[in-house]
Amino acid sequence: MGLVESGKIPTPLTKLLNLSRKYSIWAYQWGLACCAIEMGAAFASPRYDVMRLGVIPFPASPRQADLVVISGTVTDKIVPAIRRLYEQMPDPKYVISMGSCTNCGGPYWDSYSVTKGVDQIVPVDVYVPGCPPRPEALLEGVVLLQERIHNEDMAERWRGGQDRPEPIVVGR
Amino acid sequence: MAGDVTATEDAPAAVVDDQREALLAVFTEHLGDAVVGSHIKPGQGLWIRVATGAWAEAAEVARDKAGLRWFDFLSAIDWLPSPYGRYEDSAVDVPFPPPMPDRSAAVPGYTGGDTRIQVLASVAKAGTDQRVLLKADVPDDDPRIATWIRSYAGAAWHEREAHEMFGIRFDGNGDLRNIYLPTEFEGHPLRKEFPLLARVVKPWPGIVDVEPMPGGDDEDEATEEGSEP
Repeated sequence: MGLVESGKIPTPLTKLLNLSRKYSIWAYQWGLACCAIEMGAAFASPRYDVMRLGVIPFPASPRQADLVVISGTVTDKIVPAIRRLYEQMPDPKYVISMGSCTNCGGPYWDSYSVTKGVDQIVPVDVYVPGCPPRPEALLEGVVLLQERIHNEDMAERWRGGQDRPEPIVVGR
Repeated sequence: MAGDVTATEDAPAAVVDDQREALLAVFTEHLGDAVVGSHIKPGQGLWIRVATGAWAEAAEVARDKAGLRWFDFLSAIDWLPSPYGRYEDSAVDVPFPPPMPDRSAAVPGYTGGDTRIQVLASVAKAGTDQRVLLKADVPDDDPRIATWIRSYAGAAWHEREAHEMFGIRFDGNGDLRNIYLPTEFEGHPLRKEFPLLARVVKPWPGIVDVEPMPGGDDEDEATEEGSEP
């Protein structure tokens, strides 16, 4: 990876690297509420079979994960844990925010205990709206993220010069 | 048909009523004047309000004398009407902070109440339908009442919750750390004066974004703009 870090990676190698990153996303699951049922259906059931997309939903810890799917209601109490687990993930890392609660607080928009959007704590790459979203919606989010990874300039990202791209919103 | 229904309702109600009267008698026998009030709904429930000072004693009686060894829950109620009104229905802007309603505006439930906040706890006898809802007033100026953990160890967590949500101190429970709220949380969210700040800065969106229900009264308005006669 020395070439990548020095920012001198040849374009064909970038394509190859992105291709392999794209199809071996280790996805960490943070099911915080009922959306986790839909996430479980999308990630751990043969009907939706997320592994056909090249997503491996079984990392044992955030230190082995490339992608995290935060689904469910984020409360102020659990915010430190989310931040801490996110910081444990190795870069490059991606975040999918699944469901209205995680996106903006959802039906608990006026609650005294619910965080109004996980993007206040961690940068979000893909928003999946819905209450809850269908498993297909989450899979579309994964596919859109894969497209982004495919076209990403890794050297630029490592140098830290790249501005954060606009987050993807599924269904828009 | 209607006669049958009332007949079946009356018959078992009288039987169950006796059971609850007997249960109430156990409490009045051991607590005496500390039983401030009681209410029996035949076939449904028994409410007993005890004096604030007899709260821990009531737990002992419930567990040891009445045999209600199963602790269901302990919580509290703030009977004061909300100073914010019902946000979603309010037609006018409520000033912030709103004037607090008078203490006398509090309307307590069964067996009444002299203070704004009451603690309540439910205990039962497992395997039977014997169950009592015990209540006690919590003083307004110094919200403080005895703990139940000597009788029911499981009350400890419930008291922690009542403490963080209502600010009630439970004398004798030395572990009143927050259980649901973050440690640094300020205020007691289930008290009526606690503002939901999100609603202060943004009106309830349901009021501006109403979808007509199919077949409802609003449907005519929705189709008004259409070309249908």
